[in-house]
Amino acid sequence: MGGHEVVSCIQITGLSKVFTKGRKEIQALKDFDLEVADGEFVCLLGPSGCGKTTVLRILAGLETKSGGSVRLRGEELAKAGSDRGMVFQEFALFPWRSVRRNIEFGLEIQGVDEDGRKRISSKYIDLVGLKGFEEAHPRELSGGMKQRVGIARALANDPKVLLMDEPFGSLDAQTRNLMQKELLRIWVATNKTVLFVTHSVDEAVFLADRIVVMTARPGKVREIIDVDLPRPRDRTSQEFIRVRGKVLTELDEEFEKARAKELSPD
Amino acid sequence: MASDLVKRLKKGISENWKQVVLALVSLTIFVLAWHVYSAYLHENDVGYKGYVPYPMDVARALFKSFTAEDPITNLIMWDHIAASLERIVYGFVLALAIAVPLGLLMGTFRTADALGRPIVELIRPIPPLAWIPVFIVVLGVLWGPVAIVFLGIFFPVLLNVIFGVRSVDPILIDAARTLGTGRNQLFLKVVLPFTIPYLMTGIKVGLGIGWMCIVAAEMVGNYGGGVGFFINDMALRGQFDFMFAGMIVIGMLGIFTTGVASMIEGRLSKWAGMK
Repeated sequence: MGGHEVVSCIQITGLSKVFTKGRKEIQALKDFDLEVADGEFVCLLGPSGCGKTTVLRILAGLETKSGGSVRLRGEELAKAGSDRGMVFQEFALFPWRSVRRNIEFGLEIQGVDEDGRKRISSKYIDLVGLKGFEEAHPRELSGGMKQRVGIARALANDPKVLLMDEPFGSLDAQTRNLMQKELLRIWVATNKTVLFVTHSVDEAVFLADRIVVMTARPGKVREIIDVDLPRPRDRTSQEFIRVRGKVLTELDEEFEKARAKELSPD
Repeated sequence: MASDLVKRLKKGISENWKQVVLALVSLTIFVLAWHVYSAYLHENDVGYKGYVPYPMDVARALFKSFTAEDPITNLIMWDHIAASLERIVYGFVLALAIAVPLGLLMGTFRTADALGRPIVELIRPIPPLAWIPVFIVVLGVLWGPVAIVFLGIFFPVLLNVIFGVRSVDPILIDAARTLGTGRNQLFLKVVLPFTIPYLMTGIKVGLGIGWMCIVAAEMVGNYGGGVGFFINDMALRGQFDFMFAGMIVIGMLGIFTTGVASMIEGRLSKWAGMK
């Protein structure tokens, strides 16, 4: 790559993914293109089964791609690595580890010494608002608290991007709204690039710089909608409702297509 | 930590006093029924009355077996307990030393499982006691019973470890991988800790079977000591009160060891976040 060329943080071109189940082949993604700039907050939105999670898992290195190219700061990605942090809907915390030791997991793997681990984990414990819960175990925490651990654990590795797979999907509405605000605060504080999968239009409009609406399977980009509303965003404002309406219209057509496909014999 | 434990114990006792009273009631009823049956046999002068001594006689024999050396064998109950425990411990340690790594291998690698599974499935249904005649002759009075205990503990531990490895939540593996974890570290930091509570369940079940095995194995030997030997020896001598005393000792030892294993299991499960 050229020295002065502007390289996007994430660059996905012509990505495709085929799952084989027995003799059946399922095309999950086809010609999926996306560029995400440094520090940008992008939401992936689409009907269920459209492959948005698959995009994230390929980026994370948890899934192999069938074709196309996926680059992080210009470098082609293959294996999972600590340069991409992932946050899961199911939290995926290690139940036998305390909050602090969960957050320090990646640092242990990297071989950071104890003092270094403690310093870094303390920083992120403060950042995500878990002070006083350092020695608690996941089973003692509420869903929202668990996801704070999940976010801190991913951030502790200082990844280039944060991949979030419906991270607030299993939280109640109140906690969900609170966590969205918290995430924006953390995002501003850390300046990370975020790729966020959700199926909530409201969540996407509240969080994202840009919303990528995906087509029904095989998933590709249908439309990218810029959300140029100032933050903090007011869900009840005319502007918010207007953007929300625009996204919903796009999405509704895809939902219909997905439904029609489900009903038709194949 | 210690005072915390004491506090919890106190709380447990005050909450469970009812259970303790009920346990005493049921034990009293059992001893009474035993006494009545024994009295019935003695009053009616049935031929086998000696086989069912009074509970008080058994209690006396129990006390005596712990305090006085046997005139014939020159052994005291503690010697028998030590001999049985020695065999149990050897069998236990050997079983763990082989079953744990083997279970981890078979749980992780399909090939290892395909290789090991046929032998495991072939030997597992054979009761460990069926090996007594061979083992006692070939391995002698110490290692024969040890081998039988080994078989009793080996399979529950092996199967539970395999099951534990297979039960590792795939999302935890995903999470670890996105945190930069390589293959070996994944095993050490995710699979192994996840499997430990399963291992403890295997140990608990295995110990229960181990005690059953040891008595039978020691009975056959007819020398070499051990509580099983004591029970058989006393039966052959017609000292049935002492025989029953030996049986009670085995019961107590079983309760004690599985109790300790249960406690450790509970703690580890809690540690692993499973309870």
